[in-house]
Amino acid sequence: MSDLTLKQRLYQRYLAVIGRYLDKRQPPADRVTLVQKLIFILPTRYGWWFVLLITLLYLLGTNYQNNLILLLCYLLLSLFLLSIVLVYQNMRGLTLQCRTAPAGFASEKLNAVLQLSADKPHLMLNFSFMQQQHSVLMPGLSAELTLPLPAGRRGKYALPRIKISSQYPFGLWRAWSYVALAQDYWLYPRAEKMLQQHDDSPVADSGQQPQTQSGDILAPYRSGDSLRHMVWKRLARDPQNPVVRQQQFSPEAEPCWVVVTPATGEALERRLSHAAWQLLALEQSAQRYGLKLPGLTLPQSCGAAHLQRCLQELALC
Amino acid sequence: MLKQKNVLLLWAGLQLGILLLLQQAFSGWIIGVFLLLLLYRVDSVLRNRATLSLKWVNLLAGVVAIALFVNLRQAGVLHFMLQILLLAAVARLLALQHLYEARQLVWVHYFLIGCCFILHQDMAIAMLVFGVFLLNVYSHYRLFAPTGAQLNWPQTGRAVLIILPLWLGMFLLFPRLPAFWQIPDANVAATGLGDSIDPGSIEKLVQDDSLAFRVEFDGPLPPRQQLYWRARLYEEFDGRSWHVAALPRTAARYTAPSAEADNDTATLSYRVIAEASRQTSLYALARPLSTSANVRLNAGDLISAPKPVSQRLSYQVNGIYGPPALLSAQEQQLNLAPGAGNPATKQFAAELLQQYPQPAQLVQALTEHFRSQPFYYSLTPPLLPGANSVDQFLFNSRTGFCSHYASATAVILRAAGIAARVVGGYQGGQWHPQQNYLAVRQREAHAWVEYLDNGVWQQFDPTAAVAPERILNDLDAVLPQAQRDLLNAGWRQLAFLQAARQQLMHLDYYWSVWVLGFNDNSQQQLWRQLKQQLPAIAATIAAILALLLLFAGSYLLKRRVPAGLPPATMLLQRALRPVLLLKTPSQPLSVYLQQLAISQPQHREWLQQLADVYEQAVYADRPQALMQLAALLKHRRQQIKQLRSSIKNA
Repeated sequence: MSDLTLKQRLYQRYLAVIGRYLDKRQPPADRVTLVQKLIFILPTRYGWWFVLLITLLYLLGTNYQNNLILLLCYLLLSLFLLSIVLVYQNMRGLTLQCRTAPAGFASEKLNAVLQLSADKPHLMLNFSFMQQQHSVLMPGLSAELTLPLPAGRRGKYALPRIKISSQYPFGLWRAWSYVALAQDYWLYPRAEKMLQQHDDSPVADSGQQPQTQSGDILAPYRSGDSLRHMVWKRLARDPQNPVVRQQQFSPEAEPCWVVVTPATGEALERRLSHAAWQLLALEQSAQRYGLKLPGLTLPQSCGAAHLQRCLQELALC
Repeated sequence: MLKQKNVLLLWAGLQLGILLLLQQAFSGWIIGVFLLLLLYRVDSVLRNRATLSLKWVNLLAGVVAIALFVNLRQAGVLHFMLQILLLAAVARLLALQHLYEARQLVWVHYFLIGCCFILHQDMAIAMLVFGVFLLNVYSHYRLFAPTGAQLNWPQTGRAVLIILPLWLGMFLLFPRLPAFWQIPDANVAATGLGDSIDPGSIEKLVQDDSLAFRVEFDGPLPPRQQLYWRARLYEEFDGRSWHVAALPRTAARYTAPSAEADNDTATLSYRVIAEASRQTSLYALARPLSTSANVRLNAGDLISAPKPVSQRLSYQVNGIYGPPALLSAQEQQLNLAPGAGNPATKQFAAELLQQYPQPAQLVQALTEHFRSQPFYYSLTPPLLPGANSVDQFLFNSRTGFCSHYASATAVILRAAGIAARVVGGYQGGQWHPQQNYLAVRQREAHAWVEYLDNGVWQQFDPTAAVAPERILNDLDAVLPQAQRDLLNAGWRQLAFLQAARQQLMHLDYYWSVWVLGFNDNSQQQLWRQLKQQLPAIAATIAAILALLLLFAGSYLLKRRVPAGLPPATMLLQRALRPVLLLKTPSQPLSVYLQQLAISQPQHREWLQQLADVYEQAVYADRPQALMQLAALLKHRRQQIKQLRSSIKNA
């Protein structure tokens, strides 16, 4: 256990150091063209085997005092050295850009679309996000590239560094580059109907929650639920399973306002999810709608841009 | 990648090529097994059939490997290693599934191709091996290139242009080391003169037209009568054949007495490029005094290699003309034994001795005897069976070859109490005046006699008495047409083929001298020459660099200031360059200057003035404004500097 954590800690540390170094060397930019100072080149494992081959041939040639074997050995060595240049040439001049900020819901798989441009062919390039397993191999270069983004909680994230690597043409050297594009991506709260509403049809999932006489719903306590809603009597009876009286907010009063009441923790997440669902539903029904968040109100409007704005505010909430 | 037919076929073809190049190392049944495996693979590729499973391939390879191991004693370690390597490659190709396996395959191919050079050093075959190598590089490229990618010829051409100087430079200048350790050598029969000589042995050699060695003289070519290339001394005689004595000649390094190298003796300096003979004995003229470090100078003025010559060997010899000296009483004793049998010869020797007590006189008389009596020189002498073969030759058949005459002469001299021995080597050679080298072939193999007189070994060639043309011209000149045809069998008689062969041989000679013969000496020489030429080389490189810099500079300048800009803009850009770096391309210069004036209050006044003058110069196109602008920029140099630093700090 401790061994694992040590390893992980070291890896984290390494990533932090590398990240700092890269941030200094290549701060995020809108368009990045691969130039010499961004490209790193080191031998691959096969490259080391190739070095062993050259050493063996040198020993063979020296021991047999055989010039032809030495010639072959030097030919392989010059091929080895030249392939540094070739692998560099294959990377150099590629321009990356991410024009639109990728946006999606936290539960979905989100892809980033990158625009690639170059004035010469680039072969066998491998793209992936830093620290991500999934990679895309491009035998030739196409204008657009789709890369899956890491899943995560809602929010606004900076686009991770893109790792571009290539071993073309001989697999002896690996050239790679970590490119940071100045672009963010958005993970909106999961759009899901979470809260029971008066104007909803009661079929949805009302059966799961016990109803009190007043029509309120009793729900298990989640961190962030207001203590004012705690059913103290039940807590006294069963301290292990605290129960709260579910607060009904009243969208029916303002049918075209999506309201998120103040909360924290799990409760806030549920409210935000519900709000996202509401926003989608409203947008679909082509109504004008607004968003009321604690401390922020977006005026009523409609359209894709407005929806995006609202969802972004939810993600940041 | 692994599904591509042509790559698989390419590899199969490569392995077939390697098999053929290495066929010396493989006995018949092994070649058969490998051919079967390769054919099976090719067949399965062409018919799109699945190959054997990995299990079966492993089993098959295991069985073949055991068979090869059983054969180890016969094949030798080196050949065994090559067989196992090729077996690994063939088996890998049979069950190729993953990309990393293909990489291993390409790796092993590279090594096998390198090993081909252990067995082959001729230019033609070396070119072939390099061809196979290029194919392997291509398959290596295909492994990492996108499927179906074509070679980009311009790019390949550029790569070759870069590789060539790098490659040759490394070969010429990289330090060369001596061999680190003894390595297994090929089990191949020796060629050339053997350890023993009997009347028939040189005849066989004479029918061999292959090259024995080539010589390049530093001075003029010595006269033909001097070209006796000594290789071996046969000092033990058993009544019929001669053997190399067991005297420890190669045990200690022999230092030639340099005092004898007087000023008045003519010196000899030459470089020999010996072909592989799988023997240690090498060739020298008269008395070698010093050699290059890769060969040894032995007692008896012979030169030998430290181990059997398995590939072309180039060595330098410096020496003098003159007879070798007697080394010890033991040597003299050894060379007095006339051997058993041959009573008539001994009788004849005793008569000669009575008549001519001095060795020189006796040898002279013997020459006369051979010349006056009906002795014949022939490639196809009658067989001389029985114990007294020398008697039969001297008194009955009187027809023989150099070994017969040398053997008989040495026996007569020994019987007369004069120490004598048979020397085996080569005589003469074919001189190529344009290429400036002497080619000595196996057919120039010769045997002659050395006898002891006044403490030195005098050379005596009885064949010269019988057939002087053999020494002065060529073997062909001596022999009648029928026997000459025996030598030039079949296609060798066609003139144009002969000429082509000659040209190829010259090419091969340069190949040997420049490529195979390149060693640490040549390298040191090259370094020395480079050092002498250093100022010239440095000047050339500096000039080239300066030119390149000039080109690059003018190119950059041209690019920085796009043509067609108004002169005022250029003036301003030149003066304010570091300040202008912050300007976005879409922003006009004057707007930017005004913005600067606002953000930098202490410079506001002159910046606004500058913007005004600039606008006038550009848009009103007034020449006075341009001059005003220049004056203003010059006047405000100090402020520009301040502005620059304040922007940098911001």
